[in-house]
Amino acid sequence: MSAPTVAQDTAHGGIHLTTGAKAALVVLIIGALCMALAPVWPWLVKYPAGWALPASDWIGAALEWLLNLIKPVARFFSRALAYPMEWANILFNGIPWPLSIGLVTALGWYVGGWSLASLSFLGLSFVVSSGYWDESMNTLSLVAVSVPLALLFGGGLGILANEVPRVRNAVQTLMDVMQTVPTFAYLTPLLLLFGFGPVVGLIASAIYAAPPMARNVMLGLERVESDVKEAAIMSGGTRMQQLFLVEIPSASQQIMVGVNQCLMAALSMVIIAAVIGGFNDIGWEVLLTMRKAQFGQALLAGLVIVVFAIVIDRISGQMAEDRQRHSKRISGAIIAVAGVIAIVFWSRLPEPASLTLLQPTADWVDSGLSAFTVANGSALDGLKNGAMFYGLLPLRIGLDGAVLPFTWGFQWTFGMSLVLFGAAAALGAVLALRGNIAAGIMLVIAAGVIETGIADLPWPFVLVGAGAIGWVAGGRKLAQFAVLMLLAVLLSGLWDKALLSLYLSGAAVLTCAVFGGAIGLVCAMSPLAWRFVRPICDMLQTIPLFVFLIPVLMFFQIGEFSAFLAICFYAIVPMIRYTRHGLVTVPDELIEAAVSSGATSWQTMVEVRAPYAAPTILLGLNQTILYAFAMLVIAALIGTTGLGQSIYLALSQADVGLGITSGACMAILALVADRLVQGFATERRKALGL
Amino acid sequence: MGDDTRADQPAISCRGVWQVFGPNAKSKLKAALAASGGESQSAADTLREDGLIPAVQDATFDVKRGELFVIMGLSGSGKSTIVRCISRLIEPTGGAIDIDGQSILDASKAQMIELRRRKLGMVFQHFGLFPHMSVAENVAFPLKMQGQGKRDRLKRAHEVIGLVGLEGRETAYPRELSGGQRQRVGIARSLAVNPDIWFLDEPFSALDPLIRRQLQDEFIKIQATLKKSIIFITHDIAEALKIADRIAIMRDGRIVQIGTPTEIVLKPVDDYVREFSKDVVKGRHARISSVLRPLSEAPDNMPDDPGIRQDMTLEEALAACISLYQPVPVHDADGKIIGVVHPSDLSAALQVDEA
Repeated sequence: MSAPTVAQDTAHGGIHLTTGAKAALVVLIIGALCMALAPVWPWLVKYPAGWALPASDWIGAALEWLLNLIKPVARFFSRALAYPMEWANILFNGIPWPLSIGLVTALGWYVGGWSLASLSFLGLSFVVSSGYWDESMNTLSLVAVSVPLALLFGGGLGILANEVPRVRNAVQTLMDVMQTVPTFAYLTPLLLLFGFGPVVGLIASAIYAAPPMARNVMLGLERVESDVKEAAIMSGGTRMQQLFLVEIPSASQQIMVGVNQCLMAALSMVIIAAVIGGFNDIGWEVLLTMRKAQFGQALLAGLVIVVFAIVIDRISGQMAEDRQRHSKRISGAIIAVAGVIAIVFWSRLPEPASLTLLQPTADWVDSGLSAFTVANGSALDGLKNGAMFYGLLPLRIGLDGAVLPFTWGFQWTFGMSLVLFGAAAALGAVLALRGNIAAGIMLVIAAGVIETGIADLPWPFVLVGAGAIGWVAGGRKLAQFAVLMLLAVLLSGLWDKALLSLYLSGAAVLTCAVFGGAIGLVCAMSPLAWRFVRPICDMLQTIPLFVFLIPVLMFFQIGEFSAFLAICFYAIVPMIRYTRHGLVTVPDELIEAAVSSGATSWQTMVEVRAPYAAPTILLGLNQTILYAFAMLVIAALIGTTGLGQSIYLALSQADVGLGITSGACMAILALVADRLVQGFATERRKALGL
Repeated sequence: MGDDTRADQPAISCRGVWQVFGPNAKSKLKAALAASGGESQSAADTLREDGLIPAVQDATFDVKRGELFVIMGLSGSGKSTIVRCISRLIEPTGGAIDIDGQSILDASKAQMIELRRRKLGMVFQHFGLFPHMSVAENVAFPLKMQGQGKRDRLKRAHEVIGLVGLEGRETAYPRELSGGQRQRVGIARSLAVNPDIWFLDEPFSALDPLIRRQLQDEFIKIQATLKKSIIFITHDIAEALKIADRIAIMRDGRIVQIGTPTEIVLKPVDDYVREFSKDVVKGRHARISSVLRPLSEAPDNMPDDPGIRQDMTLEEALAACISLYQPVPVHDADGKIIGVVHPSDLSAALQVDEA
């Protein structure tokens, strides 16, 4: 991340350091001091365990006391929720499947015509023939109960924030927390509160799905034109009339976007919540088959989830797009035909669970996969080990630790460190002489980080580094925020794990930034490429997190590399989208100005498009970081170290303190990264006068 | 593009230029023209029925060397599209466009880039300034594209910035400037490479009336010294009449009239053009020559000589002879009497369309 280059004025003799250069210099000095003093004071590098506060114990004790206090209420709530769940279950499982397919197809027709109707029909037919119909209906009944809860809760929050400006900030913070604290982390206290069972998954998914609804309600109400609002006031409406008769209907399109996002989030979370088990749903099926290494079946179950996600997304997304509706008569006819089929064949309808049309295919895929992995085992291993030894491991424990005769063919020596630093210093000096002092210093810092490894970075260096970035990105307040937040992680005693999480997500984000940025660039330059990439992006964004684990596991088994790949696949999408969007939406006049100045298309790209798109690309990077953190916890299921592992561990041991503390640390890392990148984006946007 | 250009050769020459938007525009235009026997209006109608948009229809005109040619029309009349065709920011669908006698539609991409780097300058309605570059960097941008060194191009940028009266603001960023200042930067940038041909696409339309007038005056002054060949786009008839050597009036993609300001005001070809000139004070734009009567019509005795000259505007002439009832003599620049004008003709000319 380059520092903002304020126009430098070296005409008056002295060297004027930019803010970025000053900050980089401070970080460099601290880092060098830590390295130099490490032999004398080892606590500079490794934060002593004795200095940490037993935060997780305290939090655990306090929470358990609190949870026990409200447990009776929660248990009552849990019992109360069991009723609608049961009804939904009976309803979804009770309707004969031809009628269900007919109803959804009719809805698809009504909302989106021919294309959506056929998508719905084909999708649900696939589910029936997969043999996972019952499990799917169980999942859907969970969604059907959790989504109204989330809509009510989220919509209420959004309206509250709109009506009472004083609580607006509080609501924003609450939503940030609800979305950044990893879902696994609050499963543990929920388990304690509500007891073992599907209610926990239901509540977790309602919590997770409420913020997008609230955000969109807030956004929609905010965007209602002031003319419209004033017209409502002048018509003599009460506040309630203004709100419900004018403002909310005017904002309906944005609110429908919220409903769409809410549905997708709830589905994704319901499936994740399957890890606590106890409910025979489709997520559980995936988990079970994955554990048994039946990847063909896992893939089939995963595809069922994907099909549901796509059908739900497209139908609710189309509703948000306020197009004209299609004929109700044809919808009615579809339902009637389905109903007739259901009645006529009532007694002869096969049990959906006994339908195993696709099982042979799954078995075939399974054996095919086994054969493939056996045949190409050495190539896959080579790929995995290459990435591990030459990419991930050096990033994690540094070149001095990762370069071994066993992998690299030689031993890292002190002399090599000197050469590395010498080269970095020389290159940095060249950069500095050409006017970019900050970049020069950062190059040297980067060399130091690669040499040491992220997991072994001295804690004062990390704190000062985060503070320095905060200072450059947003001034003193942001610097304070970053340092204080990280200090909390340091004191919690989970610092080492936090660094491990930072390393894995950092590696994934870096990879996504490079590849996603490149793909975005190609798509910006060639509409043809975008036509090809776009559906893939849409697809990747609709797939619930959990499903990403299946393919990586098939080819690369449990381990850090699989986790890394899963994170990359999920987190690369925003980087591609935002990069392309930023590059493409540069105002025509700027492009014309460049072209009429005689710029070639490459010059236009480098000189005009890229700088103009920088804030948008930074926002994409920000999304990528948040996505990476979200996936990091899910990836803990297939073997990562770090905070994700702690959270997962806490879940299995019902250790509320550890779960919440690790979750909080993870949220802190995500929040700090989010604020820092946002800071840069805001600064750039201001610099562009946008 | 060679330098073997003759003085009488037009700087820009457009012959039957079409710009049609829509799928398969090129082949459909060809078909429509073939069907209508080359008649452009019916061809355009055919295209419209087919769902295409003929933004420019059969535009034909020349811009002479050093001439200030104004294209005037309401928004959506295709005037900005024409200038984008000539600079090939968009590809014309049909017709021929020559710059200095060389067909630019046959020029390769590289030749076009070279032409833009050396010969063409363009000013945009909303300035088109690069927000991430300072004033000096913006102005020096075309020179950077030419590959000039930093020192040289900043020196040249400084000169041009002086020309538009922005000395001292070189390190400012576009966001720190007022609208008028921004357009000065836009003008400076388009002049940085000292182009022969200058396109201005509604350069003053986004500015306040006062600033607009100030910039128009400065623009006229700059043009008086630089003598560029100019295509100037505007929707403001007063602006067109004030600065133009000749004006082309466009409507719905067609050029309906080309003429000098006087011709446009006093001899509008149709109601559309007349509608435009309705709001302008004609006396300020039409010259005395338009109501001049030959010397043979002079009465034997002309008692009064208010000293009316041939190059006076109607308004000025009327002010000089408003109290007179007899024809008065009109002098040329040397003071020789070349004809007579009747004061009642003057007021009648000013009244012509008011009724």
